Amino acid sequence: MNKATTKTACVKKIPPKNQQDWQAMYADWAKEAPEGPLKRFYEAGMIAAQIPLKDTPLLALDLETTGLEPSQDEIISLGLIPLNHQTIRCQGAKYWMAKPERSLNAESVTIHEITHTELAEAPRLEAILDDILEALTQQVVVVHCVSIERQFLLEASMKIYGYPLYFPVLDTMDIERQVMHRPWWKRFGQPPSLRLDACRQRYKLPRYKAHHALTDALSSAELLQAQMAYHMDLDADIASYWV
Amino acid sequence: MDVELTEILDALCQHAPFDDIADDPQLHDMSKEVEIQYVRAGEWVIAPSALNNALFFIRSGAIEVLSKENKMIRRMNEGELFGYFSLLRGGKSSQAMRTIEDSLLYRIPARWFLKFYEENDTFSDFFELAREVRLRIAMDSQSSDVSLMTCPVVSLLRRQPISTDQSSDIRTAAQIMTEHRVSSLLITENDELIGIVTDRDLRTRAVAQGLSYDCPISSIMTHDPIIMDSGDYASEAVLKMMERNVHHIPIIKHGRPIGVISTGDLIQKESHGSVYLISDIYKQTSIEGLKNISRKMTHTFTQLVLADANTQMIGNAMSHIGTAFVKRLLKLAEEKFGPPPVPYCFIALGSQAREEQTIKTDQDNALILSDKYDPEQHGDYFKALSDWVCQHLDDCGYDLCTGDIMASNTRWRQPLKVWKGYFSDWIQKPKAEALLHLSIFFDLRGIYGDKTLAKQLNRHIRQEVKQHSGFLTYMARNANQRKPPLGFFRQFVLDGGGKQSHTFNLKERGIAPIIDIVRVHALACGSDKLNTLERIEDIEEAGLLPDGRAKDLALALEMIGMVRIRNQKEQIEAGEEPNNQVNPENLSSFEKRHLRDAFHIVSRQQEFIKFRYAGKRS
Repeated sequence: MNKATTKTACVKKIPPKNQQDWQAMYADWAKEAPEGPLKRFYEAGMIAAQIPLKDTPLLALDLETTGLEPSQDEIISLGLIPLNHQTIRCQGAKYWMAKPERSLNAESVTIHEITHTELAEAPRLEAILDDILEALTQQVVVVHCVSIERQFLLEASMKIYGYPLYFPVLDTMDIERQVMHRPWWKRFGQPPSLRLDACRQRYKLPRYKAHHALTDALSSAELLQAQMAYHMDLDADIASYWV
Repeated sequence: MDVELTEILDALCQHAPFDDIADDPQLHDMSKEVEIQYVRAGEWVIAPSALNNALFFIRSGAIEVLSKENKMIRRMNEGELFGYFSLLRGGKSSQAMRTIEDSLLYRIPARWFLKFYEENDTFSDFFELAREVRLRIAMDSQSSDVSLMTCPVVSLLRRQPISTDQSSDIRTAAQIMTEHRVSSLLITENDELIGIVTDRDLRTRAVAQGLSYDCPISSIMTHDPIIMDSGDYASEAVLKMMERNVHHIPIIKHGRPIGVISTGDLIQKESHGSVYLISDIYKQTSIEGLKNISRKMTHTFTQLVLADANTQMIGNAMSHIGTAFVKRLLKLAEEKFGPPPVPYCFIALGSQAREEQTIKTDQDNALILSDKYDPEQHGDYFKALSDWVCQHLDDCGYDLCTGDIMASNTRWRQPLKVWKGYFSDWIQKPKAEALLHLSIFFDLRGIYGDKTLAKQLNRHIRQEVKQHSGFLTYMARNANQRKPPLGFFRQFVLDGGGKQSHTFNLKERGIAPIIDIVRVHALACGSDKLNTLERIEDIEEAGLLPDGRAKDLALALEMIGMVRIRNQKEQIEAGEEPNNQVNPENLSSFEKRHLRDAFHIVSRQQEFIKFRYAGKRS
């Protein structure tokens, strides 16, 4: 993998003046957060903004939920898998199931392939969120569609710790949107799909069964590797990409 | 907390060899340690001469395998594995791997590969066989750590050939050799190789003779030197050097010299093996000495099997050893009984003629005498010589032929004209029963004496067959006598009866039928080759078989032959007498599957020749 390959359409880098200072924000939140796991999470801090993309510790994440509304619906499973531009390490993969407060409706059961029995035996989210926080410590999270995943975790944290959980993210959907960006004179017909599976097919990645948190985390990890190989500058600061 | 990615295990288990070991619980642990990597088209996965520490699985995409010379060896697709060659050799990679499509690769840590390879026969068989099948291809690119037996001469070449035009004078030639520090110089005429000059030639033919240094180099060169093709095995180079007492052989590719191989190159390569056995044979001056060497044969055989030699190489080596014994004995016989009163040629028949001998063979031989032969005058000499040679071949482990097809039998010790008569008779008035025992006469090679006698006889045979195509009908029918041991549902059918009730005979029921089939086609297309694989090449070229069928035969022969050789090696190691009987229960599932396929090919091709050479009467 030592041969330099020309990158085609590039993902726009966030200009320095618009970059978030995550280290500073973590420091502030560490002071405010209540004693306990969340405080420790912020106290551990975030990596420096100048770390190049290729050296950044990345962690692909996916959630399965009872619905699409972060304020009402609940997390029922969460998968994590670590990666960098060269390797996705299955050995570091993690997976949790959480028993929701309200019972599942039949519809979401069929989507998730998680059964009532499996969930009935799972712990509540508050019993595992500590472990999840520990896994996320000092990692840059990779998700497909930041607005949903980050919001669900923020809501859960508000409910359990009474303080928000917030962290920097590389969003494969947003990256793909930029890559697919077409000037107005070419915007005829259907815009290309940004669904995870559709994005993967553009990079000739194999098709997986969707809707298992760990498989979907793996899916977005592979997608990010492909995007990095094609469109991203591995030597650029992580601050140019995280949101 | 360890979690399992079912996607990964499922993908692996859809392909060999993992599908065969899918119920091994350790696979789950292995899948947890898989690493995944997306690689764009056109990038190195294993860069040239890089160290490798993983077994790669192609989840999607495609890879090309490149030799050291950056030549594409083959393409691999989804579901295939690579990197195991280097893992089996401690990580050193002789081939480089590059993506030719965007690919998603799984990296399985080396320790898991080695663990399964050691613990699970089904798993290791897969790689063993993959190795076998790909050996030929792989040999092109491996040059460092294979033995002399398994590497082509081209891999030993270290530099471009140094040459000069034939009009150069001796001084210029010597200066070129000094400048390039070579001990031999190729002599060309219009870029065609016409001769070779060595250090020794300069010494003995120029300096010692007091020749003027202004003489043309062509005056001291060896004309039309012995050459070899770039694809020939290094072992053959050694044999040629010893037989002809030369130290340099130019290597030719597409008619042009691409280098010179010297004894030094070969000696550096290997210090033991069959070639040294042969040189030992030629040095012996007594029967006792030859008998001692013959006891090392089994060791040489097992060494060859261990060195990953394929059946073709082993057959080649064992036949050369057999031939060396014959030649040495005849030399000793001529010393004992005096020089022959008329020219003669000692001929090998059957497997030795085809260069396909294995460890345990009877002797099948005969003598062609010059037509000047007079039984009154010369009969006693050749009888004494033949009896003596055949008897001592028996002492050296080549048992007397039970069918009495030996030079010691008067019927098979005849002048050329009588031999021609024999063959004309067999070919013009074929009798099925008689022909059954005569097929080995159609594999006939002169190995000592006046070899033109054997050549003339072979030419006579080809001409007769050409004019009497009805003969092929009989040969085709005979080639259908021995059927592969496959039942209706493709299960193995055992020989039954007595000691061998749990086995079947691989030679009788697999190898011999293939040889018979190939011989019929070879006679039909007028091929002058004797080796079965070489005959198959001629048959393919002549277009006698539908596309791909000729290759099928070669593969089936290799597959059955390999099982036989492995089986013989195991018999030797268990202290038993090696034979051709195999118990299918001792075979791995992989070997069984492929053996079945091979037998199936034989059955179909037997059917085919029945129709192909049906003749007028049937």
